Amino acid sequence: MKNEIKHQLIPLGLTIIILVLFEVVATAVFPALGVKNYRLPFNILIVLYLGFKVESPYIAIHIIVLQYFHSLFSIEGWEMGTISGILICIIIGYLKELLHFSSAFITILVTQLFQVFWFIIMAAMLYMKMRDFGLIIEKFYRFIPESIFISLCAPVVFLILDRLWGVSSKEGMLGEEV
Amino acid sequence: MKILEESVQRQKIFFNVAVLALSLFSLSHRQFSFDKTTAFENFMVDMFSPMQSSVTYVKTRTSNFFEHYIMNINASQDNTKLQKVVADLKDQVFSYEQVSKENKRLKELLQFGGELDLQKVLAQIIAWDANSDFKVLRINKGKADGIELQSSVVTSVGLVGYIFRLTDHYADIITILDPNNRVDALVERTRSHGIVEGYSRNRAIMKYLAGTEPVILGDLVLSSGLGNIYPKGLKIGKITKVERESYGITQSIEIEPVVNFSTLEEVVVLVGTKDEIKEKEWKALDDAEGDEQ
Repeated sequence: MKNEIKHQLIPLGLTIIILVLFEVVATAVFPALGVKNYRLPFNILIVLYLGFKVESPYIAIHIIVLQYFHSLFSIEGWEMGTISGILICIIIGYLKELLHFSSAFITILVTQLFQVFWFIIMAAMLYMKMRDFGLIIEKFYRFIPESIFISLCAPVVFLILDRLWGVSSKEGMLGEEV
Repeated sequence: MKILEESVQRQKIFFNVAVLALSLFSLSHRQFSFDKTTAFENFMVDMFSPMQSSVTYVKTRTSNFFEHYIMNINASQDNTKLQKVVADLKDQVFSYEQVSKENKRLKELLQFGGELDLQKVLAQIIAWDANSDFKVLRINKGKADGIELQSSVVTSVGLVGYIFRLTDHYADIITILDPNNRVDALVERTRSHGIVEGYSRNRAIMKYLAGTEPVILGDLVLSSGLGNIYPKGLKIGKITKVERESYGITQSIEIEPVVNFSTLEEVVVLVGTKDEIKEKEWKALDDAEGDEQ
């Protein structure tokens, strides 16, 4: 992946289109099918992908743009997700030597692990705002099924995003061969 | 090569710090009572929402097809029964109309303040918020239909919430189940005041209600009209749990909303509430000052 921003505009645009489609599925299709209490956070999955596999100094810009489009479908706003996304990417940066995506199982496991980190950061921010631990507990109960579903989707979604971002699916972290 | 890597690393740190600072700044200045959309957001929401709307349309058409054609086995028998029921109801409606007219005449005689003549906009729910932490619904009506920011939203049963975000053709409702929504409320039987706050997917809590207030399970909670958002007297819910601490000055109360949010499909937006109530209040104050002078 080339580092210049001009080479990343088209993949970013296509990723936004995929995010919008996923958001429509999460906010309209699933509720229409009766799933009204759980919402699948596809934005987290896409931000995690960027952190795992895209080597770019502009990763923070990509995250803020994706979170902005997510905020059109949620009153959550773009700020909290952007903060969590960047902090997660910094953590991934430190652990990059340990992370590889050699099988679907490992991809699911790693995605689940980092969703737990994401939950901890978001829960901390939510607690600072609301000062109510009961809300965090309830969020945790929703987080379990939502995050498991997202992790199960990860191998397929990562495969699609690999094509868009020009990352070989056989490559490990940051283009390393495994 | 090493210099290039260091430069990329420095750029990455710079962008990370800059975006984090921007996010923290924006978060600290974020308005949680309503969200004014920019022209770009307005355009984008109006562009994406038809996709959400089309899903609801397909779902409605499909379920209509099954309910009205496939499942239509005893329609003729039902039709005969329903025609009889309609005839009975027509009689009842006629008598209610007479009572209503009489009521209006008596109110005028007693010089009661007339009811606010609110414009009602019927809207269909087309989507739910993308994050399950927020209990927000998106409807297929917006500024073009006369809806305003912070207009109250109700059903025939009771209060749903208010308009939080608005574009030309769509609007987001923050429901009474959302922790960011607070309604000044009173218990119908005891007239005690408190603040109703969203808590979970099917519960709200009532805060700041004095521990000495004799509320009991099943008491009805209504909007008090204070706070300049909701009109007075809208049904919010029924008390399902009361906890009094031995030394506490307030009591912990749980409310089950009268509106069933899991089956909600259409809502009514009350337009003009805020301004008209304000105008009425100002007029009353002006009149009172005029009388004193």
